[in-house]
Order: sequence, then C-alpha cells, then structure tokens
Amino acid sequence: MNRSDSEIARTRAFWDANKPIETGAPGYVPDPPVWWHVALALGVALGLQATLAPFIAVRGAVVSMVILVVAWYAVRTGSLRGFAFGMVAGACEDALTGATGVAWTFSTALAGALAGRLARTYLADTKLALVPGAAVVTLVRYGAFTLIMQSQGRGAALPLVQLHAALWQSALDAAVALAALWIFPALGGSGAHRR
Amino acid sequence: MVSIFTYRDERKLFAVVGAIIVAAVVALIQLDAAKSGKPSLITIAVGSTALFVQSAAAGLGNSLRGASATLGDAPRLYARNADLTAENRSLRGENARLREALAQAPEAEAIARTAAELPGAIVATVVGFDPENLSRIVTIDRGSEAGVHRDDGVIDEDGVVGRVVDVAPLRSTVLLAIDGASKVPAVVQSGRWWGIATGTNSRIRLQYVSQDAKLHVGDAVVTGDGRSFRAGLMLGRISEVDHPEGALYQTALIEPAVAFGRISRVLVVPHDTPADEP
Repeated sequence: MNRSDSEIARTRAFWDANKPIETGAPGYVPDPPVWWHVALALGVALGLQATLAPFIAVRGAVVSMVILVVAWYAVRTGSLRGFAFGMVAGACEDALTGATGVAWTFSTALAGALAGRLARTYLADTKLALVPGAAVVTLVRYGAFTLIMQSQGRGAALPLVQLHAALWQSALDAAVALAALWIFPALGGSGAHRR
Repeated sequence: MVSIFTYRDERKLFAVVGAIIVAAVVALIQLDAAKSGKPSLITIAVGSTALFVQSAAAGLGNSLRGASATLGDAPRLYARNADLTAENRSLRGENARLREALAQAPEAEAIARTAAELPGAIVATVVGFDPENLSRIVTIDRGSEAGVHRDDGVIDEDGVVGRVVDVAPLRSTVLLAIDGASKVPAVVQSGRWWGIATGTNSRIRLQYVSQDAKLHVGDAVVTGDGRSFRAGLMLGRISEVDHPEGALYQTALIEPAVAFGRISRVLVVPHDTPADEP
C-alpha cells in the first residue's frame, strides 16, 4: 500500500468511526496497540488475579487488571473491538472462576463496548480518558454481572457487600489507570485518534 | 724535585691511625665481652639494628613472594571462588527448600492422617482463586479424571472447607463455606440444635435455629448429614449469639475452624466415602 492508499484508508477509518450525528464530538481514528502487547497484558492480568486475588485485596476489592486491559484496548480501538476483546477476556475469567456461567463474558464485553464508546465522547480530548473510563466501566460491568448472574439463577447472596467491593474496585481501577498513564505515557497512544 | 705539602696525605694518615684505634677499641670491647661471656654493646646495637632491617626486608620479601604467588594463583582462585559461590547458592536454595518442607510437614502429615480416616478421599492442592474476589471460591488441581464430582464435600484437617460447584477434567471449583451462597445443614453439638450455616464472606452465620435453643459462645457447630457432607464434620465455634425478641428464629455467628486465609491442601470427600471412625 503506497502513501496515498494509506491516507485514503485512514480517512475512511475516520469517517467510519465518526457518524454524522457525532460531528460535534472529537475526531476519532482507531489507534490499536500491538496485538501481542495486548495478549501479554491480558495473560499477566489473568494470571496475577487468579493467583493472588485474596492477598492483594483492599477492603475486599482487588484491582481488576483484566478490565483495565479491556478498557485500555477499547479506548484505543473503539466499541466493536472493545466488545470482542471484552468477550474473550470475560470468557477467560469465567473459565477461571468456574461458577459464574457466562456472567463475566457478557458483562466484560459490555464494559469493553462502553469503554470504546466513551472514548468517542469529549473524553477523547484527554490522554487520561482511561481513568474515568475505567471507573465507569468497572461499575457498569459489576451491574451487568449481577443481572446476568440473577438471570442464571445465581443471585448475589450478599449484594451490599459485593456492591461495596465493586465501588472500591472502581476507585482502585481509576487510581491504577492514572498511575499507569503517569508512569507509561505511551499507553495513552500516539494521540492520532484525537483532534 | 721538591715535594709539595698537602693536607690530603695528613688526613689519610689520620684516617689510618683513627681506623686502627677504632679497630683496637672494638677488638678490646669484643674481647672483653667474649671473656665475660656476655654480648657486647656493639653486638647488641648492631644486632638490634640488623633485626629491624632484617624484619623489614623479610616483610617486603614475603609480601613480594605472596603477591607473586597470588598473581600466579589468580585464575585458580577465581575459579575456586566461582565454585564456592555456586555451591553457596545451591546450599542456600536447598536450605530454603528444606525449611519449606519442614514448614509443610505438619500440614502434610495432618492431611495424610485425615485422608487415612477417609479411604476414598482425594487429596488436592489449592491452585487459584476468584480473579475478581467477588465470591469466596478456590480452584483445586483435581477434577473429574481424579474422581471429583459436583457437590462433593471438601475438608481439611481442621474441618469443613466447602463443596465442589464446578468440575473440569483436571481441575474443580470449590465454593468455600464462608461464601454467601454456601448453605450447609449444621448442628450445634451440645443440644443437637439444627440450623443452616451460610457464609458472610469472612465467617459463617448459623441461621434458622429454633428460639428455644440454648446457644452459648464457644459451642462447637458440626455438619448435619446432607448432600455434600456426612454428619459430624467441624464447622467452627459460636462467637456471637443473636436472640431477638419476637423473632421466629435466632442466629449465631461462627468462627470457622478452618483458616480460610491459608488453605493449601484439602481433601475432596465423595459423599459415599465410608468414614473409618474409631
């Protein structure tokens, strides 16, 4: 592909990613990270959480590195890819948990889609889009998880305790996202998808 | 030819005469000392001075000899040092392994003793946890291929751990007794009062106990015969009693017998496993 072809593709991606109704929103072009970086991050996140979760819990909540990786990928790629990647990550969590059916699969997919959508709002103006994004999608994911568990006949036995843990997890995720972007600014992407 | 007078010849003469006088004095002193059998002052002075010089020379010589030997031995010493460092590292590793084995020995022994009482029981190791920590579940390294079935009870040497809720060929998921979704029929040992033990995420709550039950702090609570557990397995001891006026039932908080924060080896007990009780 020569230069003019790549520019045409980039322009097409821009128009595909920005519907006419959103002309007031910042310009958005997917800026996907290297695939093996994403795969490695997800593997590390799953491994750490499945091995150390009870030992790194703060007030019963652990930093969900899985949702951070999903949100990071979704912010850089968009809703559709965020949804697909969230589904894969959630399926891995369901497999590791073993007692949640498909609750993590769909709730994480929804969270990925939401994170991708948030990145197309005014949040795209900042490289720190991942910080509020992580907090919001963590809570939304918990809500979706609870509903799906309910629909599977396994309602939360201690809903208030779990909500409390989810609120803590949301705050922890935002804090870790902020720290990660502070230490590794490159995680925020090249900025090509912003105006 | 007229001889020329110079002081040089005179000085030579004086020098020769002086030397002879000094030699005579030295000879006299030495002979005198020899006759008396003691070292002379000259011998002492010269010997002492010589000793310092000899010591310094010997020290310098030894240092040079040592340095040259060290330089010559450097490759061998370097290799030896590397060998000793590697050996030290290996011994440290072995020491750590032995310490870990020593630390695990009582637990392994207790599990083996418990397993001996339950011939069909399957020994398993805890290998994972809920990644999101929302539920109190653990993953063990034994599955259907080892004979684990859904709803099998899981215990350790202290008492009830939980029950199997999901089985894969090589691994299983265990819902801990402290999870809110766990429900185990339970009996207060003294008085035989029945109730349902459910989790609070950190402890166990005994619910639906009859209002006329006499519950006391410290009472032992064991399993009743149910789908996952045979009767009599230790759940814990009552730490609080809630006896509200006018309520249909009373409840009690149980301090679990099992230390859920550090479970590592457990026993999966198929429900039809016969207990080899004394």
